[in-house]
Amino acid sequence: MEYKVEAHRIMSISLGKIYNSRVQRGGIKLHKNLLVSLVLRSARQVYLSDYYAGVCLNAQHIEAKEWELMDADREKLIPASEAAQPSSADCGVSEAAQPGQTRTTGGAQLCLKRHVGAEDGRASRLQEKDGDSLDPSDVAVTSPVSPAISETQCGSSDCETDADAAVTEGDSRQPPKDHACSHRKRSAEETGVSETPVKRTKVTPNAIVANNEIEEGEEMDTSNVSNLITIFGSGFSGLLSKDSAKSESETDDSDSGSGQICCEQMLKNLNPWTTAIVAF
Amino acid sequence: MLSPVLCSELSALEPEYTEADVISTVEFSQSGEFLATGDKGGRVVIFQREPQGEYNVYSTFQSHDPEFDYLKSLEIEEKINKIRWLPQLHSALFLLTTNDKTIKLWKVSERDKQPEGYNLKDEEGRVKDISKITSLQVPVLRPMDLLVEASPRRVFSNAHAYHINSISINSDCETYLSADDLRINLWNLSITDRSFNIVDLKPDNMEDLTEVITVAEFHPHHCHLLAFSSSTGTTRLCDMRSRALCDQHAKLFEEAVDPASRSFFSELISSVSDVKFSHSGRYLLTRDYLSAKVWDLNMEKKPVETYQVHDYLRSKLCTLYESDCIFDKFECAWNGTDSVIMTGAYNNFFRMFDRASRRDVTLEASREVCKRRAVLRPRRVCIGRKRRESDICVDSLDFRKKVLHTAWHPTDNIIAIAARNNLYIFQDRHSPSGHHGVHRIEQETAPQLEDTPPQ
Repeated sequence: MEYKVEAHRIMSISLGKIYNSRVQRGGIKLHKNLLVSLVLRSARQVYLSDYYAGVCLNAQHIEAKEWELMDADREKLIPASEAAQPSSADCGVSEAAQPGQTRTTGGAQLCLKRHVGAEDGRASRLQEKDGDSLDPSDVAVTSPVSPAISETQCGSSDCETDADAAVTEGDSRQPPKDHACSHRKRSAEETGVSETPVKRTKVTPNAIVANNEIEEGEEMDTSNVSNLITIFGSGFSGLLSKDSAKSESETDDSDSGSGQICCEQMLKNLNPWTTAIVAF
Repeated sequence: MLSPVLCSELSALEPEYTEADVISTVEFSQSGEFLATGDKGGRVVIFQREPQGEYNVYSTFQSHDPEFDYLKSLEIEEKINKIRWLPQLHSALFLLTTNDKTIKLWKVSERDKQPEGYNLKDEEGRVKDISKITSLQVPVLRPMDLLVEASPRRVFSNAHAYHINSISINSDCETYLSADDLRINLWNLSITDRSFNIVDLKPDNMEDLTEVITVAEFHPHHCHLLAFSSSTGTTRLCDMRSRALCDQHAKLFEEAVDPASRSFFSELISSVSDVKFSHSGRYLLTRDYLSAKVWDLNMEKKPVETYQVHDYLRSKLCTLYESDCIFDKFECAWNGTDSVIMTGAYNNFFRMFDRASRRDVTLEASREVCKRRAVLRPRRVCIGRKRRESDICVDSLDFRKKVLHTAWHPTDNIIAIAARNNLYIFQDRHSPSGHHGVHRIEQETAPQLEDTPPQ
């Protein structure tokens, strides 16, 4: 999981560098910006590779196992269905909760949160799924190992270290993630736009108002990214129109959930964004 | 290998310096008698070697000024990117200097006589009253204080859409190349209004851009061969005889990357920051972020030697990326006999590698450490605990202090190291001039320091 966070962070830094290169004396340096875009692409590939591997195949199945493993590690012998109930409730709360709250649930919870966040409308599906009895045989011991499982196992075993990391990075982790989400949202293509509003309505009932920090962060980066797009000009004409349409709705979305929803579309469509960066 | 003795440290008099004073290029003349430095403020300072062996300032002039491209609304920096000397034919010196967009040919000449005794003008140059002139005189040349003048003889402009990164004078001494991120142009030194494009990497669709040119250089002896390196870690050798446009390389020098060592920054650190032909013309020296490689022109698959300059930075790449240090372009240099290579590092360190004995040394160029005529002590970077006094921990390295530009005298064991606004010149204590047979490296137990009181 750490490398996913790392990839995320590197993507944010890279975009910041590209933006700052505009105002550097001497004009935009092609060599440096090309290298930065290569790093951005590498980070994105790492971020997405695990996303697709862990999500597209057996998405809900894997998620159930994650809940299982986490709870099994913490309390050893709690039945799956019981564990799922409080955990999902926690998840629903902690998605948009203060970072302080996440500390108590431990690093593994954060790991899970990220997984949840990466999948569209996962929270809502979780709620629905609570009623389902989780087959004990689904526990990861016998199932094929997926990257998501192994990550969460690591996450569980390194619960303390993750918690420590969460303590130090809790504040920074949440906003950067949303920053990246908002970046990618801007780059979503036409197909993405039509799907996104649908998903947004799903999650909104579950949404909880996030702290102002997150909201401000999103808005700040919205303007940064829209400026970034304008400087690249005509290659982004489609993105520009979407951007202005979204900027109003963005201010309404005050929870991290909406950012997470858009992740899927955004990440998939990052490719034109990346190549276009180079194309100045 | 040098056992370096500091012979002169030439730097700004004021301890406080501005960004404009940062040295951006260093180059010895072809004879080694002169040394030129360019800085970010567009100034060029030329040093001349005195008979005693020290280098003193010979001439200073403003080469480039800041410009503004009104069409693109871009400021063009006056920073001197490269200086290249022409072979000296007579008393005047000729050198090429370039910033991001314009190359200039400068003539630096001495004047030590001036004519006196004009008929129509008096000493101060005022026109005499004609009615007062009663006789004619022949002006004579009288000695005067030495005056060194620099004048721009040619200005080669408007040929590059991207930032010029290198210039290189052909061995025919008539032509030279200039390279920017995507193109290499061939010029005649006498013709300023046209140039030939010999390499063009610009794709039809800029979105397909995958690599840029980082450095280009002509072969020291073969006027038809040139080498250029790219951001993808490859170096190409092109033969101008084969076709007019050298997009197809004659040789491609690329080492396969170990897939196990891939990281986010693998492509970044493989970008070649400098290319230098050996004096013999047989080898190529390339520098990427962490290593320096010697290539035999006859073998393209892999380098014949690889030297790790600061491999301890491999675990710090993310931090270096954030601070932009990972984009630093370190230069490299050969010594006169091609037996030693030199390159810079962080914390004002520079490293020398003896190719035959495979021994290396790390030295520091800084005011605190270097006193006049003192022998430099080797330094070592340790990852864990310090074992010696001269060791320094990786975490203590100052990444703001970097030795990007280094130069080696063409024949003698004299090196010039640029550290921010300071220029250090070191020479070998044992054999400052000429060739020497046995290479020695200063031992860990430092010899006596020969300190002379500061002047």
